[in-house]
This record gives sequence, C-alpha cells and structure tokens, in this order.
Amino acid sequence: MADPIKLTIDGQEIEAQPGQTIIQAAMDSGTYIPYLCYMPKMKPYGACRMCVVETESNGRTMTQASCTTPVAPDMVVRTKTGDIQELRRGIIDLLMTEHPHGCLTCHRIELCGPQDVCLRHVRVTDRCTICPKNERCELKDTVRSMELDLTNPMEYHFRDLPRHVDDPFYDRDYNLCIVCARCVRVCEEVRFDTALTLVSRSGTALVGTSHGTSLLESGCEFCGACVDVCPTGALVERDYKWDKADTQVTTICSNCPVGCQVITEVNKRNKAIRFRGDLAGEANNGQLCFKGKFASDYPNKKGRFRYPLVKIDSELKRTTWALALESAAENLKKFSPDQIAIIASPRGTNEDNYVAGKLARVALGTNNIDSALNLNPELTEGLLPSTGYGAATNSIWELENSRCVMVIGGNPTEEQNVLAVPVKKAARDGADIVVIDARETELTRYCKDGLWLRPKPGTEVTLVGGILRAVMDEALEDKEFVNTRVDGLQDIKQELWSFDLVRVAQITGIEEDQIRAAARAYGSAESAAILYGADTILAEEKTDLALAVANLALVTGNIGRAGGGIYPLFGGANTQGSNDVGANPRFLPGYVSVQDESARAQLSKEWGARIPDQAGLSITEMVAAMADGTIKAAIVMADGIAPDQPGLEGLQAALDRLDFLLVSDDFPGELSHFADVILPSAAFTEIDGTFTNLERRVQLLRRGMTLNYEERPGWAALAALGRAMGASGFEFDTAADVFAEIASIVPSYAGISHDRLESGGIQWPCADSEASGTAILHGEPDEAFRPRMTPMSIRELLDVRDSEYPFTLAHGRVLHVPDHPVDVENRDGMNYISRDSYVHLHPNDASSAGISDGEMVELRSKPDQDGNTVTFIGYAKLESPHPGLISVTTLFGEVASAMQDSDDPDPAPRVRGLPLMAVSLTKVSVPAGVA
Amino acid sequence: MASEAPESADDLRVQIQALLKGQSQPTVTVLSSLLAIQDDLHYLPNEAIEETASFSNTTINEVWSVASFYTNFRFTPPGDHTYEVCWGPSCHVKGAQQILKCVQEELGIDREGETEDGKVTLKYGTCLGACAQAPVIAIDHHHKGRITMEIAVRLARELKS
Repeated sequence: MADPIKLTIDGQEIEAQPGQTIIQAAMDSGTYIPYLCYMPKMKPYGACRMCVVETESNGRTMTQASCTTPVAPDMVVRTKTGDIQELRRGIIDLLMTEHPHGCLTCHRIELCGPQDVCLRHVRVTDRCTICPKNERCELKDTVRSMELDLTNPMEYHFRDLPRHVDDPFYDRDYNLCIVCARCVRVCEEVRFDTALTLVSRSGTALVGTSHGTSLLESGCEFCGACVDVCPTGALVERDYKWDKADTQVTTICSNCPVGCQVITEVNKRNKAIRFRGDLAGEANNGQLCFKGKFASDYPNKKGRFRYPLVKIDSELKRTTWALALESAAENLKKFSPDQIAIIASPRGTNEDNYVAGKLARVALGTNNIDSALNLNPELTEGLLPSTGYGAATNSIWELENSRCVMVIGGNPTEEQNVLAVPVKKAARDGADIVVIDARETELTRYCKDGLWLRPKPGTEVTLVGGILRAVMDEALEDKEFVNTRVDGLQDIKQELWSFDLVRVAQITGIEEDQIRAAARAYGSAESAAILYGADTILAEEKTDLALAVANLALVTGNIGRAGGGIYPLFGGANTQGSNDVGANPRFLPGYVSVQDESARAQLSKEWGARIPDQAGLSITEMVAAMADGTIKAAIVMADGIAPDQPGLEGLQAALDRLDFLLVSDDFPGELSHFADVILPSAAFTEIDGTFTNLERRVQLLRRGMTLNYEERPGWAALAALGRAMGASGFEFDTAADVFAEIASIVPSYAGISHDRLESGGIQWPCADSEASGTAILHGEPDEAFRPRMTPMSIRELLDVRDSEYPFTLAHGRVLHVPDHPVDVENRDGMNYISRDSYVHLHPNDASSAGISDGEMVELRSKPDQDGNTVTFIGYAKLESPHPGLISVTTLFGEVASAMQDSDDPDPAPRVRGLPLMAVSLTKVSVPAGVA
Repeated sequence: MASEAPESADDLRVQIQALLKGQSQPTVTVLSSLLAIQDDLHYLPNEAIEETASFSNTTINEVWSVASFYTNFRFTPPGDHTYEVCWGPSCHVKGAQQILKCVQEELGIDREGETEDGKVTLKYGTCLGACAQAPVIAIDHHHKGRITMEIAVRLARELKS
C-alpha cells in the first residue's frame, strides 16, 4: 500500500489513503459532512453539492464538493465555516423545493403523529409522518443536521407525477425524488442492468425508463439495489411499506449458496419486515437479489407449524415434543438401518447438518443421508482427485478482476444471482465472457462476437475437451506452473490425441475457429475463471465436466491465481456446508470417505458408535429407493425444498409410499402431507448457526425474531431425537456447542468458532485460531495435496430424445430483448408481460414439419413421472444453430410477476430453473381472422 | 404491439437497421445513430430506440436517456408540412405573438406540435436568422418575410387543405 497522505480536516490532523476523496477521509476520521448523492462503493458523482467544503491547498482556497475531490498532501479542509454552512442551506433549500418539506422544516417534526392537527396546514399527504420512509429518511436526517432557519421555508412546488405502483415488489413515487441519481447509478455501475435512467434535461430531469415503460419491460431484475440506496421515500418496498423497524440484525440469506449478508429489520410484532444488503458483507458487497430482497419474509406468514403433531387414526393431532419424539423413536426402531434415510434441508445450517449426519450414523446406523439440493454432487466431489478440495478454489469478488470468465451449463444470474454481479463487472471492464450453453441466458449478452458457444445438448464436455486441446495446440499453457506444481500432464496429453478438433467440431456442432477463439480467450487471459453448472449437462457427464474444467484451469495456471479458479454452481444455501460436515452419503465430516478404514475407526471412537462402511444413497437414489419400497422410513428436513424442483420431481409420490415419515418444516406443504410425525422448525431469521457459501466462507446467522411457540432449530430437534433413541453424544445446549464439536472433527474448520465469526466470515481451510482463512486454494504450494490432471474421455453425442419427442428444447430467459417488442398488460392494477414468444427452429426441422417463418407452432414436452407436460406456443423463427435444437427465450419479468402473485408462503425455492426438455413440435393452425 | 401488422413493423426495423449500418463517419455513437435515423424518418419511433440499443450493445434505457436529453429529437411522426413561426426579439417587436396566436387559432392547436389530422406541424423558432425581414415564418423550411396576420392565416389555411 502506498504511503498515507497527511491532511487537516477542521483542525484535526489525519492520515488518508491516496485516492480517497475528502468525504471518505472525513468519515474515516469521524467528521460528519452532510451528503445525499454520495454512496459508499459507488463512483463519486457530485450531483447534490451538499458536501461542499472549503479547501486550502498549494496556497489556493476553494469551495469544492468533498465527494469528488481527492485528498492531497498538506491540504487543509474546513467543513463547518459560516460561509459553507450558508452555502449548504441554500443548496438544501433548492433541493427541497420539489420535495414536500412542510414537515422537514418544522420544529415539531419529532413530536408529530399521523393524525395530529397541523398548525402549518401541511396537507395530510405531504406530511413526513405518513411517508413510508419516515424515520429512515436520509433527506430528513440531512435537513435536520443543517439547522435551517425554520421561520421562512421556500415555497414548495408539487410536481403531481403519477405514482408507479403496478410493477412487482416495489413502488416508485417520483414526487419525492430529489434526483440524486443513486438508483440510476447503482443499476448501471453496480448491477449493470440500466433498468432506470435519467430522462430529459435540466429542471425537468427525472429518473425514469425508456418511454416511461414499466420495469417489466425495462430489463429490471428486481434486485432492489435501487430501493436500498434511495435516500427519500421515492423508492419503497411494497410489502410492509409503512412498518417501522424495532430491531435489526445482520444474518445470512437462506436462498442460494452465495451467502449474502443481509440486514433484517424486525418490527415490534416480531415480523421480519425488510431485508437490506449489508455493505460490509464480504460475499455480497451490499448486493441482494429478487429472492433475498423480496421473498425472504416467509417466516412471518400465517399457518406455520407451531407445535409438534403426531398422526393418530390418519389425523394429525397436536402433542408435546416429548411424546412426538418418543413416537418417532419407537417407529424408527422398527426398521433396519438400510430402510431408513435422512434428507437434510438446503437451508439447514452446518450445525443442523452435522447433527443430522451424526444421527444417521450413530443412532440409525446408516449412511443414507444427503442434502435435498445436493443434486449434482459430481460437480464438487469430482474435483477431489484434481484439486483435493470439493469446493470452489477462489472467492466470489475476485471475479470482478478476472480477464476472462467462462460459464458452462449454468445460469448464475438467476440461480446464484449476486455471483453474476462481479462477472458482469469484469465484462464491463473488458474481460471476455465465454458462455457454453444451448440456452440464451442473461450472461450471453455480455459475450463478444462468437464467444457464446451453443453446442448440441449433451456435447458440452467434449467441447471443453476440444478447448483444452486447442489451448495445448496453441501453446497457451502455463509451462512453469504445470511443470512445477501439477502432476499428470503426460496422461492427459495422450488422452487429448482423441480430441481432434475436426472431430470435436463434428460432434458438438461448433466450428473449429470458434473453439480456437474460445481457447485463445481463456488461455491467453492473465487470469481466467470458470463457472460451471449442470443445468444442461447429462448425468453421465457431470464427473467428466468437473475433471475437464479442473484440467483446463490447471493447464493454464489458473489454479492458485487471483482472478482465476473454478466455481461449481449448485443450489441450496448450505449445500457446501452440508457436504463439509458430513451430511453426505459418501463422506464423513471433513470429506473422509466412509470406506476409509482408519478414519472411520477414529471417528467411530470419537462418536462412540460403529459407523457403517457402505456408502449410502444419494438424494436421487433415495427418491428412487423410496418409490420402489427399499427405503421404508425417512426423516425429511423440508424447509426450502420445492417438490417440483427439477431433479426432485418424484419425491412427493415417493414419500407417500413410506411406512413412516418424520417431517420437520415450518409450513404445511406437499411434503408434510404424508407425515406421521411433524416437528415445527425455526426459520432462518429465528436461529443462530452458520452457513458455508460456495466460496467456502463460513458465516454466522443471527437470530432476529423470537420463537414464541414450540418451534426448534433443526439441530436441536435432531439432537433431541438422538437422545430419545438412546444414543449418546447428542447433549448440545447451543448451536455454538455443536459448532465447537464440528471444529474438533473437521480439520478445515478447526480454527473457526462462533465467537470468531462475530466479526466476519472465514473461508476454510482455517487450521487454527490464529489463521485468517484461505481465500485462494493452492495459492501457495499445498504440502498436503498436489493438484493432478485426470484424463477424461471423448464421447459421441448422447441422445435423450425419442421418436415421439424428437427435439431438445433449450429454454432461455433474459432480462430484456432489445430488438423484440414486449407487451405489458395491466390486470387488477398490476403489470404483466403478455407477449408472443419466438420459437427458434433450424430451417431443416421447420421444412420437414412443413413450417415456414412466422407461423405459429406448439411445443409439448415429454410427460414427467406424474404425467405433467409443459407447452409453449409461439411464432417460428428459422434461426436455430443445430437441427434438433429448439430454443425459446422468455423474459425474467414473468418470473418476478409469478413470484409476486404466488400464494406459497415461501415462493423463492419454486422459481423454476431452465432444464433442457425433450419436446414435440406441431404447427398450430389459426382459424382465419383470429391472428 | 403484437396487434400491429408484423410485416410493416419488421419493414421499419429493416429500414432502421440499414440506416444504422449506413453511417459512414469514423466514430459511430448512440447520438450519431439517432441522428441518422431522425434525418431519414424525421422522428424516432420506438423501434429506433430498440434497434439503436441492439446496434450499440447497450440498453434501451441508456439510449432513451440520450434521446430524451436533446429537444431536437422527436418521438412522434411530424406533420406533412412544417409551419415555423419565429419569435426571436426582432420578430417579437414586429408582432410575432399576434401572428402566432392567429395561426394557432387557424390550425386549431394551442401549443407547438401537430394538428389533429397530422397535416401540419407548428414550431416556434427562436431566431430564423432573417431579422431584417421580421416578422418571419418558414413553411417547410422556406422563409417568408414581412408577414402580416392575414398572409399568415391564408398560408396556414392553404397547408391545412
């Protein structure tokens, strides 16, 4: 770090970092300068001029905006002179002329209630007391700090603009806007969406959208970043709009593995009313997504399970915990270990998952335990032979400095939303984005020409192999790294002979030049990262994908390098943690294989029970085993499981077949329907515990709401069940106790404790209480494990289609399609997207089906196990890259509307991903006159 | 928009795309693109904003913020003829306000803009640069000087019919 700069602010000598602005230096040293448009973590803008200060530098005295002026050596800054104060009062006067300010300039502002008689005759609708942002309004705080002359406020000009209350999730009332442009800037420079913009000029300039359209059309992803930064009541969350927070607590969002640090506001009636991204959050940098911001209030909803229930004569009856546990223990004892399975919740904390794993092994004697959303374990476990760790190698925000990001078969913008933010930032800064996906996703628009590779579905791994071959052909490998740090180069060199580019091009349908272009983009970048998911990858190929990705990163030296690395994309807030702590059928805590004799023996000793040596069933195998009757009893921690989640389709029917089912959930739902015993569970806002996110960061959840009934956190319920079954080692008092036991068993967690996590998350491996965690795996040569390249094999096209459903549908979803018209329809005061989609067909397919461009066609998907099909109707466009591939691109706004309207108490897990589907294609004959 | 005949909307897009690609200057910007379209179509339809966004790899909102900044861009089709009344200082002294008032009366509008039938666009001119001839009007960019109220109304009536 460069030498600090010495300067004087208000007579106080301080040190600042070069590049800091005056306002930042002043804040760091505890001097308050009023501001409205400045916002930490955004570029200085200088719109409001509230932060003017007097500066003296090189003998010149000037009045400057402190948010845009960098500190200089020996600068003298005066922030509170009479002149400056006078200037600021004039500025705030002007800022307020179009904002209702009768109350802002009134001495009774702290005393007034909504119904009071107003001596100033301020209109009821103009009063601060009825503003949804009252008491958290930055404008109000700033005005109060100015000590204005209250006797003579300027005249107020009411703009009488229409209020926008018909878009999902948040309201916009530009009558309250002071045009600080924070919302426009956060949308553009932090989120890269530009769904909002400044319209018109000078005195009439205002925040708006193109042609004043709804947010659904303007490309809004409903992340709520604009709402979080708005200093006035112009942008407000619609739910709990006027509710006041009583307490607020920093916790971790429970929707996806990014692990966003979120400030939860709780009101006096014990409801979580608002969620704001925490600017101090290491994993999210203050950002949230539509799920975390607007769909996390489910713990408030009515109809929760409050007491344990037991099924007596096919009716669920309220009972006590003791009786419920006794009944469960008795029933579970009737089954042999092989007949029992535990499904852990994707929202389960490390503590829940550890106790669940221990319960399975110690009390039930089985390895049949898996996390519900651990649907693609190959993505992480496949890395074990290559990098030695079943996790992402680097950290989320390193991605913003990557010079190339390759995204394979994943849609992070929706599934791991905040992870896409640094990727988009890298793209904006000129990094190459390579997307390997048949679907059009939000990230494909960031690809430069030719870097969106759309292989035939089922050939992605072969394509990655082809890229690896091209990297070697063009000598783009990092020779020093490969020679000194990596094993296995000869093995894969031999294997790569079969990845002849002509053959790869033939199999994948991607031209050789394009493969080479992708290889050059990835291989020649200073730092290049790979994000890979399994959305479009066939089951047989998932392990190979992990190997291929690891090989590509190793050969180019992108392991152990900042801005490089590989990131598996999976679902579930704590899927990483559940695997780390052993809620996994193949691994005991700390990725010790259950077949590892000595490790198993040692853990058996510590746990005081014999651990079974056979690998258990994975989540998908469990569902199948339940359906065919091999598994007869199950414990399901159901919080956050959507039974219609792709990959879990058969779960509901399978649970119906069980002889005994114990469900721990917070709401009645499809899964608890068949339960024999129901244990009420505490939601993520009501517990203490830890999640581990996809960058291996262990973070602390803090309890914000109190538990007033008999709900219990998962670990407490499972530990009580363990005790009821007579097992020992389940005597835990707090989540911290459980975590202490985890730290004593899992080496990579050894240095972590709840106390340490109070001051921020820690990335494992963290060997002892002095270590600060590991941001980049293999950053230093790792003594314990030497990375190894592992051969993978080339495959011909694997085909899932059949004669009745001969096409593969690649369903994409984007924020907006600039060159296609979108229609928005207003129904019952809310906006909805209604538009005819385009179905992209290959000309050959179209001509053999007798379809010409612009005709209406219908797609029908192959029925799933329950016989459900999905249909799409749209206009044919003849521009698919491959015969047999049909693509449809829908708009993200439809998801937002659907979530807003959902009656489900917890709608976020139900947002459908975008799996590939086998479909049939028919032409729709439209009666004359209808079209 | 789906209700519009798709062919004409597509034709318009094709025309706009051709205009965007046909820009010959070395630096092509959002602004130059919008100007190129308005020079040809005389206004910026919705499609122009969308196509420009696509062409310059940005979003419709960013294009809109540029387009809405400049008063010279218009977003509705202009009338068949323009009728520009100068209200610069010289013309003002020579009675431009009265001329403007009776022209507006004749055209049946009370501000700048198009007549109901879309035949005439009335514009205010800040100075048409022919002060010696004040008061001045311009019809379809052809100046006419030393205008009286009678002539102004007659010309407006001729355009209307």
